[in-house]
Amino acid sequence: MITFFRHAFILAAKDTRIFWRDRFGLVLAFLFPLLFAFAFSHALEDGGPPAAAPRLTVVAHEQHGVLREIWAGLAASGWAVDERTRQEAVDAVENGEIEGFLLFPEGFSTSVTTGGETRIHVVVSGNHPAAEAVLQGVARAVGGRVETLALAARAVGALRPARPPDAEAMLEALRLPPLTSLEVTRTGQRRYNPANFTLPGYLTMFVFFAAALGAGAIVRERQTRTLERLMSTGVRAPSILAGKFLSGAGRGVAQLAVLWTVGVLGLSMDLGASPGAVVVVSLLFVLVSAAFGVMLAVMVDNLRSAATIGVFASLTLAPLGGCWWPLFIAPEWLQVLARLTPHGWANDAFNRLMLFGASASDVAPAMLALVMFASVFGAIALLRFRFSPPI
Amino acid sequence: METYLEAEGLTKYFDGVAAVEDVSFVIRRKEIFGLLGPNGAGKTTTIRMLSTVLAPDAGDVCVGGHSVVREGDEVRKRIGICPQELALYPELSAVDNLVFFGRMAGLSGREATARARAVLAGVGLEARGNEVVKKYSGGMQRRVNIGIALMNRPELLFLDEPTVGIDPQSRNHIFETVLALRAEGTTVLYTTHYMEEADRLCDRIGVMDRGRIVAVDTPAELKRQVGDPDQTTLEEVFLHLTGRSLRD
Ligand SMILES: Nc1ncnc2c1ncn2[C@@H]1O[C@H](COP(=O)(O)OP(=O)(O)O)[C@@H](O)[C@H]1O
Ligand SMILES: [Mg+2]
Repeated sequence: MITFFRHAFILAAKDTRIFWRDRFGLVLAFLFPLLFAFAFSHALEDGGPPAAAPRLTVVAHEQHGVLREIWAGLAASGWAVDERTRQEAVDAVENGEIEGFLLFPEGFSTSVTTGGETRIHVVVSGNHPAAEAVLQGVARAVGGRVETLALAARAVGALRPARPPDAEAMLEALRLPPLTSLEVTRTGQRRYNPANFTLPGYLTMFVFFAAALGAGAIVRERQTRTLERLMSTGVRAPSILAGKFLSGAGRGVAQLAVLWTVGVLGLSMDLGASPGAVVVVSLLFVLVSAAFGVMLAVMVDNLRSAATIGVFASLTLAPLGGCWWPLFIAPEWLQVLARLTPHGWANDAFNRLMLFGASASDVAPAMLALVMFASVFGAIALLRFRFSPPI
Repeated sequence: METYLEAEGLTKYFDGVAAVEDVSFVIRRKEIFGLLGPNGAGKTTTIRMLSTVLAPDAGDVCVGGHSVVREGDEVRKRIGICPQELALYPELSAVDNLVFFGRMAGLSGREATARARAVLAGVGLEARGNEVVKKYSGGMQRRVNIGIALMNRPELLFLDEPTVGIDPQSRNHIFETVLALRAEGTTVLYTTHYMEEADRLCDRIGVMDRGRIVAVDTPAELKRQVGDPDQTTLEEVFLHLTGRSLRD
């Protein structure tokens, strides 16, 4: 047992040493995901919320200048505003035509113009986290504008208490700029940040990618007979697999450390209400990836197939598993397919945790799924391991 | 002279074809035993079975009193193997390679470092031991390859074509290393298809062809069987024994 761990650790230390000298490996593991995450976070910041439904259904119980101004602001921000009655909107949600709507309650504009408390309701059907996120965001954005207006009204009222404020004139005077950008927030104070899904997406993609390409190193050891050499000094197969798995996992953890740090500090990413769960999910994903790398190495015969399958698997599983676009905007069939990939489970968990405020227990199924993937990959590696190359 | 290794009826099939068939021979303690044969004769397959890497389909080998088939771990403690491939990590320095394999063979970090220094001196690389191996010439890489096999102070050293494709200086250095090892008491099994090499180094030679041992004797005795030992080259013996047809 001691020998087993000793061998595994020495082997992992050696591989880690080699890895830090591999420039391409380092770029792929650390630089690429950061570049992608930076680039796409920026692109999305400029382009508005990615999950934006082009049409926005609103229900208002009155006709007032404040609301007209809000509709205009929304239109200027690229939304097509559908005004409906409450009953129409509820029916539309029920028959699946829309996923939700914003409800401006009775007395809304009066509250605004008198500086009272205002409220915008978000109504969403069942399980539509994406729609909910978008509507919440719009509500907050509108709320932000309206609050300025309410404050102004309060100020004006305080200055000239004798006369009720003339809303039309006040709007004219304030000339609110259109809502050029929408802040999409879920609840409370948290800002929606595109990095919250771009970074986890590229993190899963490149952690897996790096691990899959690591398979090549193992295949090479078989071909150059270093594995036979180790075997002839009494090193056992499980030690070698464990060593390879450890070094792969170590690389993955280093990637996590760098990417999460840059994400939080550089991209102001927010790990959500349960950062611990984010860490656990990402560590589990690292284990899955490392196990996959070892399994791939054991399954293939030569370096070329290791590289080909490694790249192919990484580039297929990444989009299927929601690394390139968030799963919650993907069509149903893709969300089902994503369940077949470790990426899908990890990304879904990250989205829930970092965008929709889920707690650790909400992502327990994802954690379980990742453990299963890692175990299956590891078991296959153990069963099929060979020291020698096929002729 | 005391027998150190005894192979008895060694046989290995690959896909139903015999790569090694009923091979029996002995290697005596402290001798350099040459295994000669054309490409595909079965030399490497034999070495892999002798060194516990490949399980024989039939037969057994006794190394230092221990069965390769039943007491692999005991055998592994006593042998060092230098494969015909460069079985090392080109991205690491010679020292790092030696220390790594030394530690995997059971040495502590400190022992391995000390041993690596001694081994490097032995193969003439002490001056450049900290450079990465991929910057070395072919001959230097071969010497590291041999050095790794020496890390655990083996009683029996397998050298599988250690001089393929290298410069005369390196080759000469390897000869000297092998002779020095024998002087220290190491038993050596050496495969090659360079006849003059075998003639110069080996105490006894086994000639292999098509998976079988066709002759075992001292170089001089082998020559005598073909003609006048002073006039005959080992090359002629070899061609006499294995025929002149081309091998792949
Ligand atoms: N792993 C293997 N699978 C199938 N055939 C093999 C394998 N290893 C060796 N052989 C075959 O066995 C024969 C002997 O090979 P080898 O021992 O490498 O010869 P040598 O070292 O004398 O050149 C060759 O015909 C070779 O093709
Ligand atoms: Mg050979």
